[in-house]
Amino acid sequence: MFGYLVRRLAMTIPTLLLVAITVFALVRLIPGDPVQVMLGDSADPAQLEQLRRQMGLDQSIPVQFGYWLAKVAVGDFGHSITNGLAVLPLILERFQVSALIVLVAVTIAACVAVPAGLIAAWRQNSATDLAITAGATLLLSIPSFWLGLLLLLLFGLKLKWLPVIGYVPFSDNFGQALTFIVLPIATLAMIEIGALTRMSRASSIEVLRLEYVTHARAKGAPEWRVLGRHVLPNAFAPTWTLIGLILGHLLGGIAVIETVFTLPGLGRLLVDSIFARDYPVVQGCLLFTAVIYVVVNLIVDLCYPLFDPRVAAE
Amino acid sequence: MRQHQGIAAFTTMAMSAGVALALAWTSAAPALAAGGVLRARFNADIRSTDPGTNRDANTDGVMGHVVEGLVAFREDTSIGPMLAESWEISPDGKTYTFQLRKGVKFHNGAVMTADDVVWSFKRWLDPATQWRCLSEFSDSGITKIVGVEATDPQTVVIRLERPTALLLGTLARPDCGQTAILHRDSLTPDGKWREPVATGPFKLGEWKRGQYVDLIRFDDYVSRTEPRDGYTGAKKVEVDKVRVNIIPDSSAAKAGLLSGSLDIINSLSVPEVEELKSHTDVKLSITPALGLTGILLQSNDSLLKDVRIRRALALSLDTKEIADVVMQGTASANNSALPIGSPFHGAVEKQGYTQDIAQAKKLLAEAGYKGQPIKMIANKRYSFVFDSAVLVQAMAQAVGLKIDIEVLDWATQLDRYSKGDYQAMAFVYSARLDPSLSFEMLTGPKATQPRKVWDNPEAQEMLRQSMLTVDTAKRQALFDEMHRRFIADVPMIVLFNGSELAAHRNSVKGYAGWLYPQPRFWGVSLQ
Repeated sequence: MFGYLVRRLAMTIPTLLLVAITVFALVRLIPGDPVQVMLGDSADPAQLEQLRRQMGLDQSIPVQFGYWLAKVAVGDFGHSITNGLAVLPLILERFQVSALIVLVAVTIAACVAVPAGLIAAWRQNSATDLAITAGATLLLSIPSFWLGLLLLLLFGLKLKWLPVIGYVPFSDNFGQALTFIVLPIATLAMIEIGALTRMSRASSIEVLRLEYVTHARAKGAPEWRVLGRHVLPNAFAPTWTLIGLILGHLLGGIAVIETVFTLPGLGRLLVDSIFARDYPVVQGCLLFTAVIYVVVNLIVDLCYPLFDPRVAAE
Repeated sequence: MRQHQGIAAFTTMAMSAGVALALAWTSAAPALAAGGVLRARFNADIRSTDPGTNRDANTDGVMGHVVEGLVAFREDTSIGPMLAESWEISPDGKTYTFQLRKGVKFHNGAVMTADDVVWSFKRWLDPATQWRCLSEFSDSGITKIVGVEATDPQTVVIRLERPTALLLGTLARPDCGQTAILHRDSLTPDGKWREPVATGPFKLGEWKRGQYVDLIRFDDYVSRTEPRDGYTGAKKVEVDKVRVNIIPDSSAAKAGLLSGSLDIINSLSVPEVEELKSHTDVKLSITPALGLTGILLQSNDSLLKDVRIRRALALSLDTKEIADVVMQGTASANNSALPIGSPFHGAVEKQGYTQDIAQAKKLLAEAGYKGQPIKMIANKRYSFVFDSAVLVQAMAQAVGLKIDIEVLDWATQLDRYSKGDYQAMAFVYSARLDPSLSFEMLTGPKATQPRKVWDNPEAQEMLRQSMLTVDTAKRQALFDEMHRRFIADVPMIVLFNGSELAAHRNSVKGYAGWLYPQPRFWGVSLQ
C-alpha cells in the first residue's frame, strides 16, 4: 500500500512538470501585455518600460521560466502582477471557498443521486423510473449559470429569503456565511445530481441482473436488504469513479457559478487573471488545479477497496 | 465487514449533509442592511491603497474619497482650489504661489501646513515612489519642477523650468493620485507605504481583498463652503460608512440593487439601464462622460493611407443614428476629439461629418477602391464598442465599403493598438480632463509612438503651443484649428463620448454623476 502510494506520487512529478511547461508557454503565447492592461490606453512607452522592468517582464521567456520554476520548486509561486499579492496564499484562500462549495454540493448530489438511481433501476421502465430519469436528464441539460440566475431571482428577489450578492467567510459569521453559500451549493448540487443519477441507475441495473441478486431474493431476503446489502455496494464503484472525476474537475474551478453568485473562489480568480494577463496567478492557478486533480484521483483510487473488496491495492 | 463500514460511512455522510442543508435553510435571512451604511458596487477590486502609484481606475475612484490635492477638477473640467485657498502665477508662468486653507486636518488629527505640502511633493518627485505622473515632470513631459518651498506655514511656492498650461490640470489628475497632500504617517519609518493618512472626507476602513473596501466618515473633516463641484467644493458626508462591494458580474449587481442589498451601482451598460427603467424603486442617473468612442483608421495601411477612402467611410456614416441606437438616447453624437462637456467644445467643434452617400461613392471611385476588405478590430468587453462597429460596418456597406469585423479580447486589442498593428479599430479612449490631453492621446509621430493615430506635424506643433499658454482664447483658437484639420485628415472617426450610467434605490438622496466616470459618495444620504 505504502509503496503503491509512493510510486503514484512519484508518477505525478513528470505530469506536473509537463503541465508547468505547457501552462507557461500557452500563457505567454496569448497576445496582450499585462503592463499595458494595467496602465490602459493613456500609458506612454516610458511608463510601460519602467513597469516591465520592475516586474522582470523584460527578461527573455526561457529566463523567466527558469526563474519561475526554480521558485515554484521551493513553494514560492511569485506575486500577482495586478495587485502584488503572493500567489500561493491567494490561491489557497480562494480555493477554500471553491472547495467548500464543491465538496458540500457533490456530497449532497451523491446522497440524492445514488439512492435515486438505485430506485429508478429497481423500478426499471415504470413511471417512477421515467420520472427520475426525466428529472435527471433535465438537470443535466440546464446550464449552471441559468439555473443559478433563476434561483437568485426566486429566492433572492421574489421571496427575499437569501441575500443576492456577497460572501462572508465562516470564520466571520457562521450563520450569515451559510446564507451566502446555500444557492451556489444548491445550483451545483442540482446540476451534478443529473449526471450522478444516470450513472447510479445504469450501474444498478447491471448489478440487479446478476445471479447473486436473484439468489438473495430466492433466499427470501426482503427487498430493502437486497438493495442495501447486495446491489448498492456493488453498484457504487462506477459512481464513485465519476464522483472523483467530477470533484477533480470542479475543484479546478466553478468560475461560472462563482461569477453569478459573486463568490471569491478559485475559478473567478483564474478567469480574472487571464483577462488581466496576470501571468504568475494564471500559472499558479493552473498548476494548483493539476495538483488537485492528481490528488483527488489518487484518493479515489485508494478508496476503491473500501467499496469493492475485489479491488485490493497492490 | 468492509461493506458494512462503507454503508455506515455513507449513511453518516448523508445525514450530516441533510443537517447542513436544513441549517442553511432555517438561518437564511438577508441581513446586510445597517443604518447609515451606503452600499455601493465596483466591478473589480482596487489595486492598492497607494494612490498615483499602484493604481487603476477603480483605485482612483476609491482613493478620490480619501485623498485631496492642492487643486481639483470641477464639473466642467476646469480647475478649482481644494486644499489651496488660492494661487498666483508669476508673469513668466514659471512660479506658482499657493496659499493654503487654514485648519485642514489629516486623518490622524494633525493640522496640515506648508511643510506637509513640501514633504508630499518631494515624495511624489522621488523616483523611488514610482509616481505614475513623474514622467510628466521630466525632460519629455510638460515641464520640470525645479523647486518646492514653504515660505510660511500657509504658503507654498512651486518653481518650474518652463511655463506650461498643464501644471494644475496634471496635479489634479485622479490617476496622478490628485498629487495628494499626505501626512508622513502614511509611510512606515523605513519609507514604505502603510496607508493613506490624508485630508479627504472619508478615512480608509477595512479592505477585504476581492470582497469590499470600506470608507469611514472622517468626523473632523473641514469642508469647503462652495457647493459640491466635481472633486472640489463642499464634501459633506451624510452616511457613517460606505461599503464598496466588489461585484464583477453586472447581473448579480443588478439583482443586488433590486433586492435591496445594494444602494447604488454605477458604470452600467446601456441595456442594463433599459432594463432598470421599469423598476419603480430604482432611480437612474445619466450623465455625459468624457471617454471617446470611435473608429481608428491606420494611415500607414496600404489601403487606408488614401485619405479619400477614409473620408468616404466618414461620409457613409450617420453618426447621430449610431449614437442614438448604441447609447439609446443617453449620449449625443460628437465628431470632435474634445468631449461635449468640455468648455472648449464650441461652435467649431460642433462641425463634424454629415452623411453624404453620393460624395462617399464618388471619393471611392476616385481612389480606385475595388471592394478590398478592411479588417476592423472590436471587442465585447465594451458592448458599445462592438455595437458601434456593427453599425459602422452596415452603413459603410451602403457606399460599397467592405468591412470585416474581428472581435478580440481587450488585452489583445490594447496590444494591437499600442503597436499600431491594425487597419481599422473600434476603440474607446479613457477620460482626458484637459483639452490638450484629448489631442495628445491622438496625435504624435507614428515612427516613435506607434499608438498615435494622427501623424500630422502641424497638429503636433499646435498641440505643443496649446500646452504652453494659459490664455484661454489662444488655446481655443488652437483647438479650433486642430479640430478642422482632424476632420479633414480623418485619422479617426469620433462617434460619441458615451455617458456615465448609474442606478440607485429611492432611499438614496443627493447622488449625482459627473463627467468623470467615478462616483462621489459625499453629499449622498440614506432615508
